[in-house]
Amino acid sequence: MTSLSGSGPSTTEYTVRVPKNTSKKYNIMAFNAGDRVNCSSWTQARMERDMSARRIYGEEETPESGAGSEFGKKQREEARRKKFGIVTREFKVEDQPWILKVNGKAGKRFKGIKKGGVTENASYYIFTQCPDGAFEAFPVHGWYNFTQQAKHRTLTAEEAEEEWGRRNKVVNHFSIMLQRRLREQGGCEDDEDETEKGGKKKKKGGQKGGDLRLHDLDDDLEMSSDDSDSSMGEDGESKAKAKKDLGKGKAKKKKQKSHDKEAIEESDDGDYEGLEVDYMSEESSSDEEPANEKPSKAEEHPKGIDEMSESEEESEEEKQNEEEAKEEEEEEGKKTPVQVENKKKKDSSGESDSSDDSDIEGETASALFMKKRTPPKRPGGRGSAGSSRTGSRPGTPSIDSASTSSTLRAAASKLEQGKRQIQAAGTDSPAAKRLKMEPSSQSPVPSGKSTPQPPSGKSTPSSSDVQLTEDAVRRYLIRKPMTTKDLLKKFQTKRTGLSSEQTVNVLAQILKRLNPERKMVNDKMHFYLTE
Amino acid sequence: MSEKGEVDLTGVKQNTGVWLVKVPKYLAQQWAKAPGRGEVGKIRICKKGNQGKPEVSFTLNEELTTIEGIEDKTVSAPRDHPFTMQSVGGQMLAVFTESSSDKLALEGVVVQRAECRPAVSESYMKLKRLQIEESSKPARLSQQLLKPVTTNYKPVAIHDYNREYERKKKEEGKRARSDKQQVLDMLFSAFEKHQYYNIKDLVDITKQPVTYLKEILRDIGIYNVKGTHKNTWELKPEYRHYQAEEKTDE
Repeated sequence: MTSLSGSGPSTTEYTVRVPKNTSKKYNIMAFNAGDRVNCSSWTQARMERDMSARRIYGEEETPESGAGSEFGKKQREEARRKKFGIVTREFKVEDQPWILKVNGKAGKRFKGIKKGGVTENASYYIFTQCPDGAFEAFPVHGWYNFTQQAKHRTLTAEEAEEEWGRRNKVVNHFSIMLQRRLREQGGCEDDEDETEKGGKKKKKGGQKGGDLRLHDLDDDLEMSSDDSDSSMGEDGESKAKAKKDLGKGKAKKKKQKSHDKEAIEESDDGDYEGLEVDYMSEESSSDEEPANEKPSKAEEHPKGIDEMSESEEESEEEKQNEEEAKEEEEEEGKKTPVQVENKKKKDSSGESDSSDDSDIEGETASALFMKKRTPPKRPGGRGSAGSSRTGSRPGTPSIDSASTSSTLRAAASKLEQGKRQIQAAGTDSPAAKRLKMEPSSQSPVPSGKSTPQPPSGKSTPSSSDVQLTEDAVRRYLIRKPMTTKDLLKKFQTKRTGLSSEQTVNVLAQILKRLNPERKMVNDKMHFYLTE
Repeated sequence: MSEKGEVDLTGVKQNTGVWLVKVPKYLAQQWAKAPGRGEVGKIRICKKGNQGKPEVSFTLNEELTTIEGIEDKTVSAPRDHPFTMQSVGGQMLAVFTESSSDKLALEGVVVQRAECRPAVSESYMKLKRLQIEESSKPARLSQQLLKPVTTNYKPVAIHDYNREYERKKKEEGKRARSDKQQVLDMLFSAFEKHQYYNIKDLVDITKQPVTYLKEILRDIGIYNVKGTHKNTWELKPEYRHYQAEEKTDE
């Protein structure tokens, strides 16, 4: 080694030797930076080639070698070559991965896979410094990337595929492995055991059930702080409830939720019909059923948050429908006030017109407000599904029960059309105003159509009792404050013989003449007279 | 067996640091030709005072600059090769060796990575150009034949085959039945070597006519439709003694 002492910087020179005949082959053992491997901490290490691939390659070698047919191997090879044109890759020991075990049984395991293409275009050399100061360079024979082998259990390919299919629905990923472990323990999981662990883990909504029944959205929302220490019965119940709801929802809702567990979809509408289900309370009536359903439905489909919330929606609606048909006491605050109002009124059937009015009011209100309104269905003992929670609750069973319901509805729809023609949208008061304004311009036309009427009041040939007269209107207004809609309802087209348009015009004129006082009730303009 | 997989950890214990240097192919080839003790050149490390980055450069020995296989004498390997130093970067690179006797040893840990680059010079450029020309030549070459091949076609009879056929006929004729005992001996010795035989192979071995051979085989052996393609003959269990030497004769 010669050292040249430069003026400022120091330069040292070393000879480089490339030893010729080395029996040792140098290889690189590369670890991932993230693994934080510290070689100096190793006390002992064992490394061997991973020969597990040999079986695949060398299958021909095993059979009949000692007692085999003589000419088998050659023929087979030839035949294979001729038929398929394949040359089977040799099993090269050199290329097999390494298995490195550090610190004995309890220590880490690494698998080193050979990296290809290292020596193709450039050579790597290891420069080590010898005691005499010279460098020795050894060519690198191979490069192995060592990764740590997982000691924890992983999913098999089939299981992984399954879980992949459920990835959008599963929120609690911890329970996936938990399920698997418990499954392997023989399939007899304790609910408690399982739900305990489940409860201790994520409390987010949508704990996945995997094979087993678990908490519901109910639990998560209302009893989110509960551990599964809550009784099994409750869990089962709530789960069963949600299941039932889901079942109903599925039957009703258009959108199909595809689940691989068919148990849910097989349930029919009628299955849950007689059940009184309350979302939050703990009714005993639903207890027995869940107990039976639980074992039958061994696998609950996993539910994500979205699903849960959807089911919540549906279930809410279903429940609403049921309840209005049956009970009223279990109403929750989740319903909009309009609905509540409607229901309360509806259920007291046989009441005065007010209930009908409010129903129709609701309908026409929705029409006026241009809300989306599904046509009121004819439910068989249940409320109509399909309505959203926007607050427009169309016709309900109690309407049907009334004999005038159909006519009312027809009237309302006609009215709605009429009103729509007149105005784009608006509340009652602008409607009323416009009514007054526009018909005044149009009045010559309708009046031309109808039979000649005295200016003061309009009496039309009618076969029924109600006639659209000023007196009639006054009577109504004196009795109680009414909106224009109410008034219109009083004078139904079928009875008065007027078309809806005409009715509207005439009524507007009457009102103008009467000039009633106005009062806001429930955000609606009511007219009344005091005499 | 405990010896076999054991990795010698002395290198790591001593914390020997090594350099991993990437070297161009041609240089590696030159190094492989190094005579004697294997000295290939000199490495020069220049440290600029206290501030860090040392400059490393390698100079190839004069004698190794000639490149074989290239006729052009002006083309030679460049001598100067500065090293570009790189850090290992968090990744842990260890060096292990496998000896010819399958002993594994961990030599050390890489502390520095470097790339050996040739200093740009005229000779290097020429060298590179040659290399590129070489590599751009297509591996397969289409060449036109000036004289068409006329040797292989249209024999009247396949001559080689004919010859072989005639020879076979002369030699073997019809296979003659030899004594049953002899045949049995032959069979048993054959079955000692292998367990399963095709009938054709047995015919080859024993040189007996097929029917005669089959009769004998029916006595001492069973016909195996083994599930594999071939239907093979094997000895009956009572005749089989693969471990022991004794055979039960008929």
